[in-house]
Amino acid sequence: MCGCYRETVMQPFTVLTAVAAPLEIASVDTGMILPGRYMRRHRRPGHDYGEAFLYDLRFDEAGRPRAEFVLNDPIYRNAKILVTGRDFGCGSSREGAAFAAMDFGLRGLVGPSFGEIFQVNCIQNGILAITMPVTIIEDFWRQLRERPGAEMTIDLPNQALIAPDRGRHSFDISPLRKDRLVRGIDDIDVTLEYGDAIESFEARRRAAMPWLPTAQRE
Amino acid sequence: MTTPRTLFEKIWSDHVIVVSPQGEALLYVDFNLINEGQSFLAFDQLRIEGRQSRRPQQQLAVTDHYLPTINRARGTAGMANPEIRRVVEMMDENARDFRLPHVGWFHRDQGIAHVIAPELGISQPGMLITCNDSHTATNGACGALAVPIGGGNQLRHVVATQTVWLKKPKTMRIAIDGELPKAVTAKDVILSIIGDIGVGGATGYAVEYAGSAIRALSMEGRLTICNMSIEAGARIGMVGPDDTTYQFLADRRYAPKGADWDQALAYWRTLPTDAEAAFDRELFFDATRLAPMVSWGTSPEDSAPIDGAVPDPSRIDDADRRRHVERALDYMQLRPVTPLADVAIDRVFIGSCTNSRIEDLRAAALVLKGRRAVVPGMVSPGSSAVKRQAEAEGLDRIFIDAGLEWRDSGCSMCNGSNGELVAPGERCASTTNRNYEGRQGRGALTHIMSPAMVAAAAVFGRLADVRLLS
Repeated sequence: MCGCYRETVMQPFTVLTAVAAPLEIASVDTGMILPGRYMRRHRRPGHDYGEAFLYDLRFDEAGRPRAEFVLNDPIYRNAKILVTGRDFGCGSSREGAAFAAMDFGLRGLVGPSFGEIFQVNCIQNGILAITMPVTIIEDFWRQLRERPGAEMTIDLPNQALIAPDRGRHSFDISPLRKDRLVRGIDDIDVTLEYGDAIESFEARRRAAMPWLPTAQRE
Repeated sequence: MTTPRTLFEKIWSDHVIVVSPQGEALLYVDFNLINEGQSFLAFDQLRIEGRQSRRPQQQLAVTDHYLPTINRARGTAGMANPEIRRVVEMMDENARDFRLPHVGWFHRDQGIAHVIAPELGISQPGMLITCNDSHTATNGACGALAVPIGGGNQLRHVVATQTVWLKKPKTMRIAIDGELPKAVTAKDVILSIIGDIGVGGATGYAVEYAGSAIRALSMEGRLTICNMSIEAGARIGMVGPDDTTYQFLADRRYAPKGADWDQALAYWRTLPTDAEAAFDRELFFDATRLAPMVSWGTSPEDSAPIDGAVPDPSRIDDADRRRHVERALDYMQLRPVTPLADVAIDRVFIGSCTNSRIEDLRAAALVLKGRRAVVPGMVSPGSSAVKRQAEAEGLDRIFIDAGLEWRDSGCSMCNGSNGELVAPGERCASTTNRNYEGRQGRGALTHIMSPAMVAAAAVFGRLADVRLLS
């Protein structure tokens, strides 16, 4: 049977105030976020991807939690925001990496840079991945180290991020992604409104370039 | 007078259906490749929603990540791991239920998606191609705009609508001019670029590779370079079509024929970047200064010429970089300033969408001919057609006589989806594209390099300069 997870794909995002955790590691690729051996499963209630999130960083070879790893500190049990290192989510296109972050409980990622495929996968599933200058990120890390368990706020409608010290920082986001996130709109519903435009574009293109490849099911 | 445009801009604007007032564009997808790696998530959701494939004839399902490269005779029944077997079966079921053409297990074209799409002539100049795989830019070597998409939500969208929403990237030209020194290959070029600009260096850009060194490369070499665009952060990498491209495509199964060929060729010749076109960013590399490269760390940017040494983190000023290098050396079990040529290896792997084409196998075989590998290893050709060609040339005998395993085609040990893993603590010299922590298996220590360099490492049992053997 199908792995029925939920009826709608897109989770809306407006204002989030939550515990933020610092993850001061650069180049955490999607294979570290969701190790390959966890990619074989459907996603459905009670069989989620959260347990696999950063598994090899959170647990040792025997499956014991690594005490020194930041997310194993009970103070971050309810963290919904992760302040990441540069190039978080680089590498493989596996969309399961975004599902793992979401099923782990995260809704906001803040970092100096993200792998672009991962960032798009996050935003299309209702996780906001915000890019900010590295000096600001390092300051967030410092604040979070000094006050473990402190909260941050992500205010998407106003494109503002409020740090533990109440400092307010604005961030950029594509206006289209912002609108669709705030309203919880699924891309496919928007696209289908352009059905006629797609049909006529397709007919024109196939007529002009009859050589474009088509394959047949054997 | 028309404004000079880049290759990217020409193909992009040819595919725009609508531009949203909010900045992103809805683009038409000429062809979509689908692998079994998590595409079941998209099909799960499409079933819930009761949606079908809009243009099945413009899709091709390719089972490549989860197939074993050995003991195939019994089919899925011979697969020991039930989870892996199930993923392979689901691709069969999803291709059937969504009426998709499918290159599966026992198809004569069986192989890695990014190897077979160019090989069959599917990837053509001017096309927009998508695939639920980060190495989709490989197909950009054919002068196409090839974009990786997520295997869940985005793939679902492409299957159902034959379109994709994209934010228009900035453009970057990376020019590599001059003649490559002896034994310096396309892999060394792209590792040098990534080592210079970093794994985020081209994030947000569509990259065009240009310059005399690129012009002089074969299609195989260009495919290798475009393949690793994502390791520099770029989703899109491409090479302007030229006579090398056209000669490669001519007579391939899906390439245009007869009058269509003439018409297509006339169109393709309009695509290369205009002389005065501007890029948002331009980088220049001197080909004559490049050397055979190996990676030493846990990111493709952690690469250096083989005659170099493991870096010393205490000498790195940038705190972020220092932290990364410390962590990388700890994971890789390497000490600072160790000469790279002193690093002993435990096994080798030749394969993957980066370096498994016939030219790659020839390069490795040239080094291994008449020599023995002192470590175990395997060779997995990029497609069944490459395998047949290699056997016709006798390359299989060279690998087998050297002591390596001659396997079937698939993604295999590049990321071990199919269970073919590097053991924890084992050090592997690999022709693949990634060396992140755990990429080839939990605790696996990966060094990426060219096929000839992997062959040299096999002969010496350590990272080695292939120039010593030629």
